[in-house]
Amino acid sequence: MKNFVFRNYTVEYLFDKNYVFSDYNSSLLFDENCDAYLWFYFLPIKSNSLLLIEELKDLKNRLNILCEKLEPSKPLYLFTIEDFYSLQYVNSDFNLIKAVEDYNAFLREKSFNRENTYLFDVSTFFRKFSNSDLIDWKFYYTSQFVINPKLAKEFKNWLSKQYDSINYKRKKCIILDLDNTLWGGILGEDGAEGIKIGNTYPGNIFSDFQNLLLEASKAGIILAVCSKNNEKDVLDLWKTHPDLILREEHFSAYKINWNNKAENIIELAKELNIGLESMVFVDDNPVERNLVKEIIKDVTVPDFPDKIYQLPEFFKSIYNKYFQIYKINSEDMAKLNQYKSNAERAKLKTSLNIKEYLKSLETVLSIKPADKFTIPRISQMTQKTNQFNLTTQRYSESDIVKFLEQGNFIYTLSVKDKFGDNGITGLIILKEQDKTLIIDTLLLSCRILGRNIEYDFVKFVLNIFIEKGCKNFKSSYLPTLKNKQVEDFYDKLGFTFEYREKENKFYNLESKKLFEINKDVKIEYYE
Amino acid sequence: MNKLKEILAETFEIEVSAIGNDFSQDNCETWDSIGHLNLIVAIEEEFNISIEPEEIIKMTSLKTIMNYLNEKLAV
Repeated sequence: MKNFVFRNYTVEYLFDKNYVFSDYNSSLLFDENCDAYLWFYFLPIKSNSLLLIEELKDLKNRLNILCEKLEPSKPLYLFTIEDFYSLQYVNSDFNLIKAVEDYNAFLREKSFNRENTYLFDVSTFFRKFSNSDLIDWKFYYTSQFVINPKLAKEFKNWLSKQYDSINYKRKKCIILDLDNTLWGGILGEDGAEGIKIGNTYPGNIFSDFQNLLLEASKAGIILAVCSKNNEKDVLDLWKTHPDLILREEHFSAYKINWNNKAENIIELAKELNIGLESMVFVDDNPVERNLVKEIIKDVTVPDFPDKIYQLPEFFKSIYNKYFQIYKINSEDMAKLNQYKSNAERAKLKTSLNIKEYLKSLETVLSIKPADKFTIPRISQMTQKTNQFNLTTQRYSESDIVKFLEQGNFIYTLSVKDKFGDNGITGLIILKEQDKTLIIDTLLLSCRILGRNIEYDFVKFVLNIFIEKGCKNFKSSYLPTLKNKQVEDFYDKLGFTFEYREKENKFYNLESKKLFEINKDVKIEYYE
Repeated sequence: MNKLKEILAETFEIEVSAIGNDFSQDNCETWDSIGHLNLIVAIEEEFNISIEPEEIIKMTSLKTIMNYLNEKLAV
């Protein structure tokens, strides 16, 4: 593979070894045995803009001649010209600006009219830098470098992206989380009316983000969803929410459940029949991102912006990095997909090791009896938690104080891991009655689910009482519109189903034996 | 000195061990004009300095570069 570069400045340092270069004059001599040709000119610094305009005309003529001489099957890459010096002597004199525009329009025409001809817009590279970074005048005058040699690597990256965009070497699919990614807030907690999307801040950010994604899907990118939510809630929302832009029909596949996201993504790849390496996963939650990153290394997981108003900028950068495409040609795309799918299917090896991953998170559970500092948070959690909440009892701060005075037991759960401290995210309230301990309230924040923490927490607390000689426990599940995910929690924990009253389920447990607790999780207990 | 040899080796694609004290443009085949500029850019980046054109043309051997750097970095 050898490429030939037509140029008027020193550009060797911007290309690798597979390139050879024209001389600096306008002779149009070239090596006919090269595989591809690049038309890569800079606008010189000349105070006389008439001379520059003439030069641009001359370049056009020469390009015309080249196109006649060049074998039609050979690719030709045309680079636009930027007036990088751009000193405007008279503000209303647009002659040079117009000549540059005409030249670039001429290249554009050529790229449409000649087979195998592509236009690369150098402004997409230039724009990333200020002029003083872009040009090192010392090297300009000593060595005829226009682009600062310190940016050579950046330039090569940019160029390889341009080639990739022609060769359809791009990723195929964006997998999106929902809560706080496609809209503000948490659907399961805030409800359909409470999520942020629409015309006002911060909903306007998410509206724009959804619109950007919609355009991406028109440019051939597959959209998919992977979210911890109740599927029915989301399907209803997609049907009924007036301000949503992306709805069920825009997503080629979705996994909305409480399973591990890495498993879900592997399922999505199978369903869509695409390779994991062609997927980009976007999620606001760093724990989810790291889980996916560590378990399925092939999936690309960009950092989510700290501030949601950075979402459009974030989207642009991931689009430019992973999804650039030169031209959408449905036939080519279909062929490409067919041809690739077999190879990719073979690649779908499940390197899944969730247990190892969870271990590597270094999760620490801190379990503490309630005290006066945690009472406000305890009350708040009973008021706000809907999804992982077995009985959905709402309590005020004074209710909590009263419980403690009556000798009931309240324990809070704080969860921290190597990514940070989540603070108090769970609690259990137990009441003693006739030597039986009744679990009045059990709730956890959804953001810590998916690591089996809920079982370890409850088992640990029950063990405290079993050790003290308590044998009988009772518990119940009171269904609401939002807590379906925990309907069989006590069954899984090992309680015995006793009876049903209306929709409510009641359980008991008689136990002398301590529960076995997962050894990979560290538990700190403060008496 | 070692850092400089590493830069020279990387720029001209040779082994560090092949760089003797008399190493210069005259006895290195790959040290052409583009190579020279790559070398200057690498030195500027490594030592976070800007080298003036008058110096650049003189820096054609390990010795002259060392002298230059000793002077420049001592200040």
